[in-house]
Amino acid sequence: MSAQKKKAFQIEAFKHRVVVDPKYAEKTWKILEHAIHEIYNHNASGLSFEELYRNAYNMVLHKFGEKLYSGLVTTMTSHLKEISNSIEAAQGGLFLDELNRKWAEHNKALQMIRDILMYMDRTFIPNTHKTPVHELGLNLWRDVIIHSHAIQSRLQAILLENVRRERSGEVIDRGLMRSITKMLMDLGPSVYQDDFEKHFLEVSADFYRLESQEFIESCDCGEYLKKAERRLNEEIERVSHYLDTRSEVKITNVVETEMIESHMHRLVQMENSGLINMIVDEKYEDLGRMYCLFRRVSNGLVLIRDVMTSYIRDTGKQLLTDPERLKDPVDFVQHLLDLKDKYDKIITSAFRNDKTFQNALNSSFEYFINLNSRSPEFISLFVDDKLRKGLRGVTEEDVELLLDKVMMLFRYLQEKDVFEKYYKQHLAKRLLSGKSVSDDAERSLIVKLKTECGYQFTSKLEGMFTDMKTSQDTMQGFHASHGSDIGDGPMLSVQVLTTGSWPTQPITTCKLPAEILGICEKFRNYYLGTHTGRRLSWQTNMGTADLKATFGKGQKHELNVSTYQMCVLMLFNDADRLSYKEIEQVTEIPTFDLKRCLQSLACVKGKNVLRKEPMSKDIVDTDTFLFNDKYTSKFFKVKIGTVAAQRESESENQETRQRVEEDRKPQIEAAIVRIMKARRVLDHNNIVAEVTKQLQSRFLPNPVVIKKRIESLIEREFLERDKGDRKLYRYLA
Amino acid sequence: MKRKDTVKLISADEMEFIIDKDAAMVSQTIGGFAEMELGEVTFPEISAVILEKICQYFYWALQYSRGKETEFHIEPELTLELMMAPNYLHT
Repeated sequence: MSAQKKKAFQIEAFKHRVVVDPKYAEKTWKILEHAIHEIYNHNASGLSFEELYRNAYNMVLHKFGEKLYSGLVTTMTSHLKEISNSIEAAQGGLFLDELNRKWAEHNKALQMIRDILMYMDRTFIPNTHKTPVHELGLNLWRDVIIHSHAIQSRLQAILLENVRRERSGEVIDRGLMRSITKMLMDLGPSVYQDDFEKHFLEVSADFYRLESQEFIESCDCGEYLKKAERRLNEEIERVSHYLDTRSEVKITNVVETEMIESHMHRLVQMENSGLINMIVDEKYEDLGRMYCLFRRVSNGLVLIRDVMTSYIRDTGKQLLTDPERLKDPVDFVQHLLDLKDKYDKIITSAFRNDKTFQNALNSSFEYFINLNSRSPEFISLFVDDKLRKGLRGVTEEDVELLLDKVMMLFRYLQEKDVFEKYYKQHLAKRLLSGKSVSDDAERSLIVKLKTECGYQFTSKLEGMFTDMKTSQDTMQGFHASHGSDIGDGPMLSVQVLTTGSWPTQPITTCKLPAEILGICEKFRNYYLGTHTGRRLSWQTNMGTADLKATFGKGQKHELNVSTYQMCVLMLFNDADRLSYKEIEQVTEIPTFDLKRCLQSLACVKGKNVLRKEPMSKDIVDTDTFLFNDKYTSKFFKVKIGTVAAQRESESENQETRQRVEEDRKPQIEAAIVRIMKARRVLDHNNIVAEVTKQLQSRFLPNPVVIKKRIESLIEREFLERDKGDRKLYRYLA
Repeated sequence: MKRKDTVKLISADEMEFIIDKDAAMVSQTIGGFAEMELGEVTFPEISAVILEKICQYFYWALQYSRGKETEFHIEPELTLELMMAPNYLHT
């Protein structure tokens, strides 16, 4: 390289003119200034760009960049002042048009100028940290024109006026608006914001404040929401057509605040058309609209949710404390299910399945279902009704649907153990009277309960089903071995129940007729022959019998009756007329049951196989009963049983409650012991909390009861109190 | 030769070089000149020798950008003047 340098050291004369001429700069500048004029006067075609470029290049190269630059600034400024005047002169509607046109021209000119002065842009400007040509052009435009006193305010006013006109339905030149806003954007985001957007938002806020006030005075909730939605969509569309996209969120905010947020409460509470009315009238579209709109403002949905929740709670509470409703449990539960369905539908179709709403609904239901302590019983009765007859002819899918809904109500119950008790009772009756519509449905529900509550809950229920099956097998065996013996005697069918699985029944006295006793004994011997070590006792209050009866004119009927009723009726084989006392004496049936039994035999229309004297509705000790010769019925088979599950009377209810309470005590104790064994030492409040937590899937334990149980455990030396702190307990191994 | 896709570059000593438009566009400055529309640009301050080298450079640059990586040889006598031209032409 160095060798080469030496060789090429003969510097040839510079082909470029070496400038000594001070006027050179002036001359060159004049050429360029002239060019700029021509460009602004639309005479660019006559120029040679190469020449101009070269001139600018030379000026910069020879250190006249400063002159070039300041010359540019001056020239451009003066041109822009001219333009500014012409724009100001424009009248009315032509103002925007003129502004737009001049802007386009300016841009074109600027580009050409920039091209010519590219060398300066590349070298001189970065070195001196001056504003590049293009940016300079924009800044000058901004300062001279947009921010000129006369133009600035006029521009703003016209833009806002256009928006206002469009809002009242007029058609405006959107393309022009777009160009203008784009121009503002190009000049710099702060220009757009300060000169236009800020005022646009203010004016819009005022506009909507007024309009919303008007609307809310004159429209009902649904209409108002429609209008609000329409305005909102309008604004969004407006932005997409001729505003900067970043304005969208700002203007929608304005609309949301003015039209929705300010009037939220009033809308929701509006009489005859507010939220509650929409729910009651199932106006899904309106509700959906409300949801979408309110979602946009903070606390909008919270408001809807709260109002809805308190309404649900109130209606629920009303339903649960309405004595009329409570008379028919099946209807009552159906009502609950319908209520749940209704709200589910609202949440899915109008509220987009919003989880928070679902949760609110669930907690409301949980709240009011547990307000009535008889809810568990009623739900069980509902299921009982369905499994007896309600599900006849229903498809398998619908059965599953219904059972799932029932399970859902079950989940809301706090006192699941009460439900268990009733369910067992009702199931027992269904099984024993053979009245269950569908075995599959029964089993399906058991499975669901097992999934929900665990094996413990359903083990006894399953035991009941097992007993039924086993009894069938036993009967087969019995008939096979003793079939010949029976001959003309009564046909016996026995269900053997394992005591633990079935609801405990009080052992009642009842003297069976002789004919029956015989075969019963035969069975007992047979059974005990195959199962030694067991004890059998006849449950006379749970059986049924089919009797063939012949009446006065020879009409025969087959009567399906309870065991008690059978005992009573068999007496009339030997006598036509019996007094209450006589019947009582012979049959030894308990008074309450006997009275009910006689009532169903003598006082029910269509089933009065007995006649009572006197003909009053109630049974008293002094009544006499006669065989009703004149009894007629359309049907050959007549059912007179009284075994259907019924809503308990108050006293029965009390009894069951008591039994439930008794059952709870050992469960609480077991929980306490379990906890103490693990923790060794624990204070009172924590024990109560832990016990509650452990048992909450079955029932809500009463803290007072827990305390009593703790004390009982202390007495029995499972636990002891700490010597120092009375509130602390210790586990005794 | 298609008229539309070529431009004519004229040197100070009135030598004419006809090259493809693509090649000319390598220089951003030439690309910006309005004379491009007319199809010819005059460079009163660039000699033919230099302008020739510049045209060669344009083609070489195109080739290089398409993957053919060769060397561009510059005769040492030309280097001085050749330095000014790119500065002027922004190449």
